Amino acid sequence: MAHRLLITTLLLTALAAGAAAALFDGQTIGQKGRNFSTLLVHIRRGERLIFVNDDTVPHNVMSLTRNNSFDLGSQMPGTAVPVTFDEAGLVDVICAIHPRMRMSVEVSD
Amino acid sequence: MRSSSRNYWQLNFQVVVALVFVALTAHSARAAAVIGQPYQFQVSNTPVNDVKQAFRQPDTIPFPPDNLYTPEKFRLGRALFFDPRLSRSGALSCSSCHSPALAFGDAASRSIGANHTVSAHRSPSIINVAWNDTTMWDGRFESLETQALAVLAAPGVLDTSVVQAAEQLNAISGYRQMFEAAFPGRPIDGTTIGQAIATYERTVVSKPASFDAWIAGDETAISGAAKNGFAVFTGKAHCVVCHSGPNLTDNGFHDIGLTGSDIGRGRLFPTVPTMQFAYKTPGLREIDRRAPYMHDGSLPTLSTVVEYYDAGGLVRTSGVSAIQPLGLTSAEKADLVAFLQTLSSPSRSASPSDLPR
Repeated sequence: MAHRLLITTLLLTALAAGAAAALFDGQTIGQKGRNFSTLLVHIRRGERLIFVNDDTVPHNVMSLTRNNSFDLGSQMPGTAVPVTFDEAGLVDVICAIHPRMRMSVEVSD
Repeated sequence: MRSSSRNYWQLNFQVVVALVFVALTAHSARAAAVIGQPYQFQVSNTPVNDVKQAFRQPDTIPFPPDNLYTPEKFRLGRALFFDPRLSRSGALSCSSCHSPALAFGDAASRSIGANHTVSAHRSPSIINVAWNDTTMWDGRFESLETQALAVLAAPGVLDTSVVQAAEQLNAISGYRQMFEAAFPGRPIDGTTIGQAIATYERTVVSKPASFDAWIAGDETAISGAAKNGFAVFTGKAHCVVCHSGPNLTDNGFHDIGLTGSDIGRGRLFPTVPTMQFAYKTPGLREIDRRAPYMHDGSLPTLSTVVEYYDAGGLVRTSGVSAIQPLGLTSAEKADLVAFLQTLSSPSRSASPSDLPR
């Protein structure tokens, strides 16, 4: 019984991440296994990406790239947060906690 | 059953809160939003054999494409690592703070460099640095090659310069031969000195421990207490959230609530709240030979480390501390220590280099 409850819990967590992402328009970026699900993504200025923590540990997605900087802070597993990119250019996105996690966002006019 | 049900409802409440939160922030143009509530660690239901396999040590050492292993580079790097002639005083070497007899640390609560300069941190072991993403407690260097040269030139460490070190080595015929063998046609300079030292450091790898025999299938390799400790480590105490993988580190940076004025990785990321007072997660191989513990060397034994984490550490005003009180029993604490002791290899051998003349 306890085993079944735990499986259900994990399924719900996974569904929650998906459901949270589904609330938004935009491409979804996962963080499973301490890796971004893509290394480079192209979007247009004003569009947004949905950062989904589908991993088992907290992450801290952020960018210090000028004009497109943001900091999601400690993001829990099972949550999704949208980020809008306002300026054209190449944006370096990292996880502050796990330096191996890096990706780029190419924002075009 | 009761405990599982409570976890279940806590988690689903948390999911609902998160969903409402993101829905409320959906209109925001710039998502500088922070998910505010404390992280509720989940107890994994992954079968224990699968959990164990995540700790299996790799068969090969990774070397970067621009500094691949050769025996000549290894021999040169090992000589440089142990040679005090690389310091201005002629009295210090890399091995002064990273001694093979002390699990490649120095057993001090603060490392001491040139002119008796006391560092803000203890000397970390270099065991398994080949798998590190960054070096130094604050992760300021991304390669061992860069770190070796920075330490060489640091006034409070080896207190020389790359140019001075290269001149010193050029004057020693044994080194001229070793450099030529390792880097044919290339000069003795910062690049070749750094590459040689880094090559040796990458070969400093933990040897198989009783823990490794257990995860390979030998149920008699570790005690029942240690097995219980592994369950606590990967479960109730959620140590594995940060101390994961073969080297028992996520190569990440966390504020674990220790007191002190040093902000660690916060110096590199002054505007990022989670990086204030954050330090790199150390690997745990050979850990019972690496006292004292923590980046500030403030805890003398593994038992005091377990007690510290159980208490939950200092609560920062930023509220981003990675740890929280655990409520461990005395038996669970003892089992955790028993498990940690299985991460050390029986071998205590050390082989400093003969130095060139």
